[in-house]
Amino acid sequence: MSADPVDTGETPAAPISAPSDAAPPQDAPPTAEKGAPEKPALSGAELKKRAKAEKAAKRAQQKAATDGTSGAPHDSKPVQQEPKQQKKDGKQAPKEPKQGPKEAGQPGMPIPMRRRQSVTLPPPKEKEEVIKQVGLFGHLYGQPKQHSIAAAAKEVHPAILALGLQYSSYVICGSTARCVSMLLAFKKVIESYTTPKGQALARHLTSHHLSPQITYLQACRPISISMGNAIRHLKDLIVKIDPAVSEADAKEHLIDSIDSFIKERITAADELISEEAMRKIAEKGDVILTYASSTIVQTTLLKAHDAGKQFRVIVVDSKPLYEGKALARNLAHHGLQVSYSLISSAAHAMKNVTRIFLGAHAMMSNGRLYSRIGTAAIAMLAHERDIPVAVLCESVKFTDQVALDSIVKNELASPEELLSENERSALVDLLPKEKSSSTDKHEDVMKWWRDEPNLQMLNLLYDVTPAEYISIVITEFGSLPPSSVPVVHRISTNT
Amino acid sequence: MSHSMTAQAPGLSSYLKSLRSTPVEASIEHFIALLKRRQIRNSRPCALATTQLLIQVVKEFKGKDADKLLRRIRDVGRRLIAAQPREMVVGNIVRRVLGLIREIKDDNADGDSNAVNSDTGSPLPHHDSFNRPQLASSISTFMRHGALPPMESASGPESLADSGELPHRPALFSSHTSYAPLGTSLFGLFSQPDTPSNTSTPTGRHSPIGKHTMTASALERIGESTILKRTNIKAEVLEGMNELQDELEQSDDQIAANALDHIHSNEIILTHTASTSVQKFLLAAAKKRKFTVVHAEAHPNDHDAVHATILTGKKRDAEVISEEAGERWKPLTAAGITVVLIPDSHVFAIMARVNKVILATHSVLANGGLVAAAGARVIASAAKVHRTPVVVVTGVYKLSPVYPFDIDELIEYGDAGNVVPYDDGDFVDKVDVDNPLYDYVPPDLVDLYVTNLGGHAPSYLYRIVADHYHPDDINLSGAVEREGK
Repeated sequence: MSADPVDTGETPAAPISAPSDAAPPQDAPPTAEKGAPEKPALSGAELKKRAKAEKAAKRAQQKAATDGTSGAPHDSKPVQQEPKQQKKDGKQAPKEPKQGPKEAGQPGMPIPMRRRQSVTLPPPKEKEEVIKQVGLFGHLYGQPKQHSIAAAAKEVHPAILALGLQYSSYVICGSTARCVSMLLAFKKVIESYTTPKGQALARHLTSHHLSPQITYLQACRPISISMGNAIRHLKDLIVKIDPAVSEADAKEHLIDSIDSFIKERITAADELISEEAMRKIAEKGDVILTYASSTIVQTTLLKAHDAGKQFRVIVVDSKPLYEGKALARNLAHHGLQVSYSLISSAAHAMKNVTRIFLGAHAMMSNGRLYSRIGTAAIAMLAHERDIPVAVLCESVKFTDQVALDSIVKNELASPEELLSENERSALVDLLPKEKSSSTDKHEDVMKWWRDEPNLQMLNLLYDVTPAEYISIVITEFGSLPPSSVPVVHRISTNT
Repeated sequence: MSHSMTAQAPGLSSYLKSLRSTPVEASIEHFIALLKRRQIRNSRPCALATTQLLIQVVKEFKGKDADKLLRRIRDVGRRLIAAQPREMVVGNIVRRVLGLIREIKDDNADGDSNAVNSDTGSPLPHHDSFNRPQLASSISTFMRHGALPPMESASGPESLADSGELPHRPALFSSHTSYAPLGTSLFGLFSQPDTPSNTSTPTGRHSPIGKHTMTASALERIGESTILKRTNIKAEVLEGMNELQDELEQSDDQIAANALDHIHSNEIILTHTASTSVQKFLLAAAKKRKFTVVHAEAHPNDHDAVHATILTGKKRDAEVISEEAGERWKPLTAAGITVVLIPDSHVFAIMARVNKVILATHSVLANGGLVAAAGARVIASAAKVHRTPVVVVTGVYKLSPVYPFDIDELIEYGDAGNVVPYDDGDFVDKVDVDNPLYDYVPPDLVDLYVTNLGGHAPSYLYRIVADHYHPDDINLSGAVEREGK
């Protein structure tokens, strides 16, 4: 199994250093592009660009207004693309916070979906938001998340544009789902690629065709560890393509390789992991607790249920994403005995639990688990009670990064997502008279929160679980203690 | 539950208003109904309502027999406790009032006869005793009401004599030794030298350590009261109850007076749920110091109150309790304090940078553990693993003479619709949704209690409990039996 990713069969040494960052270097692509199509007249070009972007934004808003909610990203894309095409500069302009058809609910998506109320974020708001940072986490505030395709570069492929919106609106959520969907979109990107004259595919594809896509995805939502690993793998493949090979063959090779990557590192790995994890469930009487939602935990539990094992599942969840709801619903539909509670009552949920199964966003090289925020608290409670904690994690999620706490490295989501529609309406009647100006009371409430100078809201997405709380990490390479993570990571990448 | 609905729905304020005009028996029934319907809930409203109701009961009481009054209060108390046993504050207040009556009764009895009347259940010098005070080992023992279980009533006199008398004797001995120089000489002429703890109880302002110094003045008072004799038991009881009422009203401010001892500049303080005590505590510190408050929102039960507290400085139902000017309610942010609202899931992540955890509580148990809003356990545990001190802010009236044996008995479960709305039909049908309202936090996770008496270690709380409740009142149903024999 360890030799999986070698399917290219090439020498591994050199190219790893260049894309070694899990997050692809954000500044590199724009500068590279600038060299080709743009003159160095910076300020003028920038002004022009901004004006254009604003125009585009206006157009987008008008469109959103006329279309109502129907504007699925697929429809709106060509229209939005147009103004871009006229633009000379290929530089990204992700600074423009724009209102987009964020509501593009993708029907029939089997991926954890968040109940997102129709919250409209007018442009000036996000600027304020940037100013109001939680001091401790100042280093995590970057550019505001891109919620629209209006500011996307012209090179960005339609499939990627759609994907980016699905990322930023949590329609596609979860490390594995995001990774797979990205790879599938990349297949389309590669299919549509033609090497310009006088360029070699191995040189040109990554920097000129793939990088803008990655940058756009990154702007929509920081890319996950698994995505970083997959991107690195893909870049590696591209660099190693023999220039003598014809473009069609090279593209076919790449697409096949992506398919086999998904198959080997994710699909087959999931199969193995769930088999292994299933064996950890007793024939009868186990009470298994899981936090939030992980596809692989779901697969494991369903498999165990199909195998006739009798157990009970407790799904613990938290706001604002409520990912566990979908998991609990799916499990219940399959006939499992499921109870559901929120993280504030985790201590109660823990009472009769015999096993904890957790999904992962990433496993750090120091054996710590980087996963949905709240996981650490669950693992801590389990540790207190000597309940074994199993992490189900494909090796594609392993990283050589290390983390000691959840503060240095994390992902921030918009604080406004914290207040649900109901919570806002509960505050409406407390609104001081001078603050209720507009007709939109909910907007007034949000403004109240935003305008309070000393008031901040924090919405982190991940936390780091100490290695000592984790009894076992189940990967496709077998069941390991968390201390073995760096070894496995080396084996799986260094083949 | 919309706010406009609750404003009109019966609650504490409407109940307190109705008290004066309604006959006592109707008021009792009304309160029981409100308790059962959870229209009066949480410690402070329950305590206030109970005190006011008992004041009415005493006022209405005819006759001068202290024993009858005792019995009357106890009967009412048992009905109230039965209505909502998990609001332990109701029982606490009843016991405080019973203790008050006992004390006054004994003072008067002393006036009549200087004899040592230990057989009528005289107050024990328990704060001098080294014996652990006798307390209920679980909530169920004092939750029992109405007819006693046959076993206990059958063996009642003996077993109570056994359990009740045994601790008395060593206690008396120890009191004699400690008071020997006084008791045998002058003071014995007028009084028993064993009342200090009870006399100081109603005011509650003196720390138990200072009680030895109380003795002299207490005895003076006793001396005076012997002159009044039993002429005015009712007036005395009412006076004591008014002091109890004052204690309830002032306890937050008295707790807040300690704030500067516990909060220093630039600290990051984590707190949880909406609590007036904590809010006042932090505001008191904010007058002098700048710090950051991280507020976990206690979703799904208290988050609306948390949001209201953060924005306006008060819970939405707080306005009905205190009719002071709105000026006193200001949010922490207005005092220049940075407030960060976090969901409960962030607790572990942020604990790495938190300097101190300040918890509010629903009730405090005699072992030093506490029952607090759900989520408190996760916070306390996370604080423990991060070596962050946990400070619990509570009024003494929340101290309950209960040792937790079965923790599940203490926990109330709330509306599952708060977790998953009922309109999500197929989900609610197939999945069990749990919504416990409270968490039990064991004493080893708590570093300090700050009460209106000052700061205490969790291991010392049982002593304060013993100071505030008469041992005979701890098990209310048992005490009836004893009195009846």
